[in-house]
Amino acid sequence: MLLSKLNFFLVLILPLVGFSQNCELTLTGSIKDIGTNEPIPYATLFINETETGTETDADGHFELSKLCKGHYHITLSHIGCESKKVFIELNESTTDVNLTMKHSIHDLHDVVLTGKSAPPTTQIAETLTEQHISDNANQSLATMVEAIAGVSTIKNGSGIAKPVVHGLWGNRINILNNGVPQSGQQWGADHSPEIDPLVANKITVVKGTASLEYMGTNLGASILVEPEKIEKEPHLHGKANYYFESNGLSNGVNAQLQQYTKKIGWKVNGTFKKSADKRTPDYFLTNTGTQEINFALQLEKEFSDKWHTDFYFSTFNTELGILEGTQIGNTTDLKKAFTEKEPQFTKNEASFDINPPKQQVNHHLVKLHSKYFIDFSQWLDVTVSAQLNNREEFDKRRGGRSNLPVQSLDQFSLFFETKYLNKISPSLTLKTGVQFNYINNQNDPITSTLPLIPDYISFKSSAYTVLSKKQGKSFFELGARYDNNIQNVASVINRRVERFKNEFHNFSTSGGWVYTATDHISLSYNLGYATRNPAINELYSFGLHQGVAGIEQGNNNLKTEKALKTTLGIKGDVHEKFSFEALAYFQKFDNYIFIQPRGELRLTIRGAFPLFDYKQTDAQIYGLDVLTNYNISPSFKLQAGLSYIIGEDTTKNEALVFIPTTNFSGGLSYEFPKPISIGKKQFENFKLALRNKYITQSRTTAEQDRISPEITVTPPDAYNLLDFTTSTDIQLNKTRLRITGKVTNILNATYRDYLNRQRYFADDLGINASIGLQLTF
Amino acid sequence: MKMKKIALALCSLSIAFTSCGDDDDNNAVKPDPVVPNQEEVITNINFTLTPTTGTPVVLKFEDLDGDGGNAPTITGGTLKANTTYTGVLELLNNQNGKSENVTEEIIEEDEDHQLFYASSIKGVTIAYTDKDADNNPLGITTTVTTGDAGMGNINLKLRHQPNKSAEGVKEGKIGNAGGVTEADVTFDINVVE
Repeated sequence: MLLSKLNFFLVLILPLVGFSQNCELTLTGSIKDIGTNEPIPYATLFINETETGTETDADGHFELSKLCKGHYHITLSHIGCESKKVFIELNESTTDVNLTMKHSIHDLHDVVLTGKSAPPTTQIAETLTEQHISDNANQSLATMVEAIAGVSTIKNGSGIAKPVVHGLWGNRINILNNGVPQSGQQWGADHSPEIDPLVANKITVVKGTASLEYMGTNLGASILVEPEKIEKEPHLHGKANYYFESNGLSNGVNAQLQQYTKKIGWKVNGTFKKSADKRTPDYFLTNTGTQEINFALQLEKEFSDKWHTDFYFSTFNTELGILEGTQIGNTTDLKKAFTEKEPQFTKNEASFDINPPKQQVNHHLVKLHSKYFIDFSQWLDVTVSAQLNNREEFDKRRGGRSNLPVQSLDQFSLFFETKYLNKISPSLTLKTGVQFNYINNQNDPITSTLPLIPDYISFKSSAYTVLSKKQGKSFFELGARYDNNIQNVASVINRRVERFKNEFHNFSTSGGWVYTATDHISLSYNLGYATRNPAINELYSFGLHQGVAGIEQGNNNLKTEKALKTTLGIKGDVHEKFSFEALAYFQKFDNYIFIQPRGELRLTIRGAFPLFDYKQTDAQIYGLDVLTNYNISPSFKLQAGLSYIIGEDTTKNEALVFIPTTNFSGGLSYEFPKPISIGKKQFENFKLALRNKYITQSRTTAEQDRISPEITVTPPDAYNLLDFTTSTDIQLNKTRLRITGKVTNILNATYRDYLNRQRYFADDLGINASIGLQLTF
Repeated sequence: MKMKKIALALCSLSIAFTSCGDDDDNNAVKPDPVVPNQEEVITNINFTLTPTTGTPVVLKFEDLDGDGGNAPTITGGTLKANTTYTGVLELLNNQNGKSENVTEEIIEEDEDHQLFYASSIKGVTIAYTDKDADNNPLGITTTVTTGDAGMGNINLKLRHQPNKSAEGVKEGKIGNAGGVTEADVTFDINVVE
């Protein structure tokens, strides 16, 4: 590990070029694809300082002459690749520089997860690059990762979205914020992960069987949101990003600054977003405005070659309006809402005001991380982190109480982790670690309402070991993990305090095999088993959930959920013209926990409400993710994708509730092979793309559609969304400007989505045009 | 060798953590969570119907433990045929061992509230006798008139933020009112000669 780090360092900083006072130095080198290691021909190099440039030849080589001793920033660009800036300190005799570039998302070679700090894994993972993240700055974390096959989102209106991977979400997947398990309030469908994706340089979705090294549940997927290490260069650099969206008149800015001085490396990142009411094709979604203010600070210091330490602080603060028409008093109101053409309280114009019903969420995280290299083949890694999460939900209330939240929860958590890695031999690696997590969740009694989620303290202690071995064309991985979870709960039931104490033992194990048959085809197979104890909300939630017009009742007899998952993946290309990637998965559950109306009404002062309770069944979820890419020419590309998914309740032999539906996507893109000159400016990497996505109708049973004895809501029809995107890069002296344009739902289609809770009340978003400007300096 | 030592250290660390977790009562939630006063809840509705002569009839709804929990108790009543009653509605929150008057809160926000009455018994009519600040009906006080004998019920609904200018709403028709239902209670009624 240290070796590869050193290499990286050497490549970037040490070996560069000629040394002389008379500005006769020459810098030569080559540019290769980071994924395939193939040379990249005809890539453009531009030296910001001298404002001169060159191109690589057919073999990916380049030469820049007549340079003086000093510091240079070189911008690399190439068709189909992300532009990249490298820093070179020119102070030696002519040296060869090996530079790398990576192809944009979904050009299959990019999607292999080989992090700098970890050995490869057999788990299937896909990564969203920094450019994809900045180009989609207007999106939330969940909608951003929806770009990956097999990932969908559960929404509550347009502002609240959480990711679903292979049919699993919430408590069943892990979200790691800079290596720390996100400890937020992930109770139901109406809570988004409290993370600003613009802080990250990389978002990875591990779609495999069990991500054993991450704390959380290990039933399947993990989403890793990672800011990259600060570039080791002494100059101040930054990035500014602005976007405007027509739907909701949203504006957003993000700014980053970073520098690696002799003493310390630092990076700051800030985001501000504000949006007014969004719009469907026919009406405004009154009170769906949002506001977000985030900040992050990253510090890095290398105390010695062996000891590296970094510090991270982030704060995420958001206020989310909830469609006013979703607030209902009882099932009669609900029934009326289903039949109305547009939701009640709809206004004729968009407003930036955010009134109750709304959510206010603040999440703060601090993390201290140290890595100690024992020798060239071993390192020890220690992380300590604390998180504070405050969540307040507001409803329209009587007697001037609308300013008082109806739910107010504070969650404090501590996380500790020690990891040890040993490259026992060049082909055998051992990774092992222990983790400890403490969570204290408390209701603030200012609400004057009964809490839905009880107060509790949870302790989780875990240990894991993963062994990986490379043998010829094969790579094997085998690991196991144990988690102990203790829950101390003090719940208010029928206005009395009741206490519960639980202890759970969870075991997970996973094995995988990757076989790289040739440079053009590889296979991967994974098999994993994991258990997940019921979460606090599944066990003890109690009360009227106004947003869903139901009385939700936890079930403290729930047993641990057990899951066996297997995946089979194939990835390859034919003469690099046609590339493909397919992942088939099958997951079998014992005691799968789900919530469903019991078909029973409870009478209250507002009339009768359906009772929802948590149940368990045996289930299976299986599917297939396929992505294919055909390069008609280097400029012209066709793409087609499929996410096929089926969820089944195997006890009752019927469809499983709340599972995403199968979707098809197709796209074509054209990138101009040469920059386009307008006046003195050159528009590089000028790209146009059209993308179409077709989402099929969900299969449900009559029982699942029946909200109450007299109300049945069938799943929405299948729908089709057509999107257009365009982007270009312009070099402006020492800075680089990227302009992006997007139009989503071009046909202004009226649709509702099965996984959007707002579908009971209103249509989904209409056409939206946006423009983005990114300045890198 | 070194590796073994480290592995051992990690194991013991994990055991140490696990046993911390096992340490019983030190980790319980302390102090007891506060059981909040549910200020907004309506636990009792008393609909008092006073005839010009004779004893008043009181229709009652009571659900002291709020939403969920135990079922409410509802007391209906017997009315005389062809009689005019003065109706007065009282809404209370009796949950916290004391009685809070919710009727006052509703009168304070009268533009934002309206009561809607309906009866399944032929000949029973309910008319508003009060007005809000905008001169629209509110429905805390009413006149209830009975016709011939019959059995059925009277239903009352309290709506928050109804659209009082929608068609028929001022006349007490709920169809176009919209808003959010805050109370929806049905009393069994027997109209006798």
